[in-house]
Amino acid sequence: MSWPRWWRALRFRNHLQAWLVRRLPPSAQWTLRHQRIYLLPTSFGWMLLGVALAIWVGALNYAVSLAYALSFWIIGLLLVSVLMAYRQLAGLTLQAGTADPVFAGEVTHFSVRLDNLSSWPRTLQGHLVGSTGRAPACPLPPHSSVWLSLPLATTQRGLLAMPALALSSDVPFGLIRAFAYVRLRQQALVYPVPQRDVLGLRQGVSGEGEAVSTAGDDEFSHLAAYRDGDTPRQIAWKVLARRDVLTSKRFAGVAAGGCRVLDWHDYPLGDDVESRLSRLAWRVLECEREQHCYRLRLPGTEVGPQPHQREQALALLARYGEAS
Amino acid sequence: MTGSDALRRVLPVFLALAVTAAPLARYLPGWVVGLSAAMLLARGLLLWQQRQLPPRWLVALAVAVPLVLLWLTLRTLIGREGGSALLLLLVGFKAFETFSLRDWRVLLALGFFLAATPLLFDQSPLAAGWLVLSLFSLTWAMAALHGKQPIFASLRATLQALLLSLPLMLVLFVVMPRLPGPLWSIPAASATASSGLAEDMAPGSISQLIPSNEPVFTAVFAGAAPPRHDFYWRVMLFDQFDGRRWFNAGAIDESGGQVRGGYPVSYTLTVVPDKGRVPVLDLPGEVAEGLRERAGMVWQQQRPSDTRIRYRAGSRTGALLLEPLDASHLAYYRHLPAGNERTRALAASIRARSQGDEGYIRSLLEHFRLENFRYTLSPPLLEGDIVDQFLFQTRQGFCEHYASAFAFLARAAGIPSRVVVGYQGGEYNPAGGYWQIRSSDAHAWVEVWLASRQSWWRVDPTAAVSPDRIEHGVEQAVPAVRTAVPILGGQPPAWIMALRQHWLAANFAWQQWVVGYDAGRQRSLFRSLGLGSEVDTAAVLKGLLLGAVLILLPLWWWWRSLPPREPLLAGWLLLMQRMRRAGVVVTSADTPAELLQRGTSLGEADREQLAALLDAYVGLRYRTREEAAPLAARSWLREVRRFHPSARR
Repeated sequence: MSWPRWWRALRFRNHLQAWLVRRLPPSAQWTLRHQRIYLLPTSFGWMLLGVALAIWVGALNYAVSLAYALSFWIIGLLLVSVLMAYRQLAGLTLQAGTADPVFAGEVTHFSVRLDNLSSWPRTLQGHLVGSTGRAPACPLPPHSSVWLSLPLATTQRGLLAMPALALSSDVPFGLIRAFAYVRLRQQALVYPVPQRDVLGLRQGVSGEGEAVSTAGDDEFSHLAAYRDGDTPRQIAWKVLARRDVLTSKRFAGVAAGGCRVLDWHDYPLGDDVESRLSRLAWRVLECEREQHCYRLRLPGTEVGPQPHQREQALALLARYGEAS
Repeated sequence: MTGSDALRRVLPVFLALAVTAAPLARYLPGWVVGLSAAMLLARGLLLWQQRQLPPRWLVALAVAVPLVLLWLTLRTLIGREGGSALLLLLVGFKAFETFSLRDWRVLLALGFFLAATPLLFDQSPLAAGWLVLSLFSLTWAMAALHGKQPIFASLRATLQALLLSLPLMLVLFVVMPRLPGPLWSIPAASATASSGLAEDMAPGSISQLIPSNEPVFTAVFAGAAPPRHDFYWRVMLFDQFDGRRWFNAGAIDESGGQVRGGYPVSYTLTVVPDKGRVPVLDLPGEVAEGLRERAGMVWQQQRPSDTRIRYRAGSRTGALLLEPLDASHLAYYRHLPAGNERTRALAASIRARSQGDEGYIRSLLEHFRLENFRYTLSPPLLEGDIVDQFLFQTRQGFCEHYASAFAFLARAAGIPSRVVVGYQGGEYNPAGGYWQIRSSDAHAWVEVWLASRQSWWRVDPTAAVSPDRIEHGVEQAVPAVRTAVPILGGQPPAWIMALRQHWLAANFAWQQWVVGYDAGRQRSLFRSLGLGSEVDTAAVLKGLLLGAVLILLPLWWWWRSLPPREPLLAGWLLLMQRMRRAGVVVTSADTPAELLQRGTSLGEADREQLAALLDAYVGLRYRTREEAAPLAARSWLREVRRFHPSARR
């Protein structure tokens, strides 16, 4: 529903929303109570209220008793709608889930579990404050739970805290909208955008070229999920037989020299931090693609070959510079 | 909104608009209703076929044509007919530019407004029933248009919301202050008034009077009602005759006179004024609020309206109206046009053989009684000297003929006279305790001025000809009426009569308490409820507080109510309860097999039945085919209800 321009100019809703959200403390779990549920007529609700008043004036003027009844019944309907909309949200329990890590610029999905512990069905919509696009209505039968997946576009690397969640419902008539804002403690890891780096290319071609051929074959390091291109020799056949999961063995060279070192100090001192991180991220991905042994060195820390090295390395890049 | 989903959501809107507009077909020009219906249908068709809407400018242009037509038909676009027709047309055309959800909602809001318009024409219980139907369909259309619930859930929510808001509506209806008058003046309703008494009285111009049985007003007497033959309800006064018709020349406007003697009665009338005129029992006392007295003791509204009003009045039946007349008034009430020579001669001859004015009047009545006059509703037409013709040739007529001839005879003898028109009689409804006066009770009689008493005296020549007309009403006086008007005549079975009486009484109560609930009624109700002597802020607040209990109770009940239990669970719990009552120790953790084992203490037949029930339960509970389950589970629950085990003796 589009708002008239003068209304948007007032930006009353935005101010209200910002003010409401500021007051919220974050928590891992919420139960919606009356303190958090707000009720406002929709534009349709205002329209119907206007109609009721017009009928009332007409009844007054023409002394039509039954028109009074109609007018008052419509007003009663509006008031009952308030309760019905309130009941859609009251007593609803929310629990934060986890969000998948993504690269900056991609869309991450926060997940929230809604528990309807009551004996009546609910229908509501949820969207993150600041996200665009219409959220579909989500039906919630009595005594049931549902997982909401809330998309949010990312722009910056780092730990992205989940913005306030807006829940709303205007069931059953669309006259009154009940809404509530909650802040759930949930974070999404946003990796730096990978940026193509000549340093990585050069390394791959020459440099520690001898390490390329030897590394990756010597000593078993860990198991990882199968990826296209893994050779039959790499597949962990025993695991496949036992658990019916395709996994590949990863090997690490004995000597540290066999591994590529992706170092913070590979770049001139004056280089931009973000661009350094992006290039390192690209090189991490490149090594992963080639299944090449690598070490990521950042000032003060290092990620060597180990299980989930990719995630560890990328997380390190994502959270670089965070006050800890 | 597009696609089949849109159709599913929008179809109820069409349905609701059709239901809402249906009663208007009775009151508005046929083409207005037909055009709007056609527009809605066409819009539905476009939606069905998912075709493009016509451009907006075309719709805006096209709406001008019916508006001009409407102006030409009704000569107005406001007021009752004009406004309703305009709204209906707007709804029809608005449908042609509805596309988004918002558009459809605007259309629905217009539909709610449309639901109020038939009430301007009719507020009967039937109209109220239709209003409820309209409101239900409109509310359901809102839920369906919202589209987030399945159809059953939306119907349920609609019913719930309407029932829950009903007490609120009732409380507001009673408590919200009513204004005594309109906010702005209402267009004169004279053009629409159809029933009621004629503006003049021309005996002989109508050859067939078909009595309409339409109710005109009701009267409730405080205390005992006077005898029926005293029921003379004055409405109009005709004081001049032009040879063809009696009419009110309007020359005398001051009211005067004192009511002397008679028997005092007090009563309340409920009536829709006819061009501001309201009835009052012969002869009235102090004039009621909002009304004024015109010459000759007839009452009118101070501000004419065509809405139903109620007023309390006091009268004295059988009283005399003392009013000294000066020479000019005497001449005025004695004035006669030329003509009707035979009647004048008759007046002279009767006058010659009777003593005084009173004796002359008595002789005249005697003349009517003895000279073979006949009371009929289908008299022959009269032309020329109509009084002569009536008195000497046809001698058939109804009250108008007799009143006209009598007043003429009085004036011919020099006695001032005038014709009073109104109603005589009424029908008592024992179920409602009120008198119903109908159009068929319309009557005309004469007042003559007696110099000896300086006062007006009521004379009813019709009573001399047909005493039945006065004692029992027109349907008894004229046998033909009985067959012509089925509701009056014949003798339907007693239970039909009783039913009719109750229906009429219910209608009366409806008129009194719902339709006629105005500022006055409200004040008296507030007084009897002890809320205060006036409808002021404090009293209204008190009323709202009192009503809050009424409103909140159902809401509280609804909030706490649980949806019906699943039948298998309900049956299982009931089964456990029955077992416990039969003295079997059961725990809530028992499985069906355990329950059967515990049932060994029951009688043989009970145990067999229990085994069958439990077997069926297991079958239903753990069955793989889900679709047939609800019905089977319900019949299983019914079987459990019939199961009354008892311990083995």
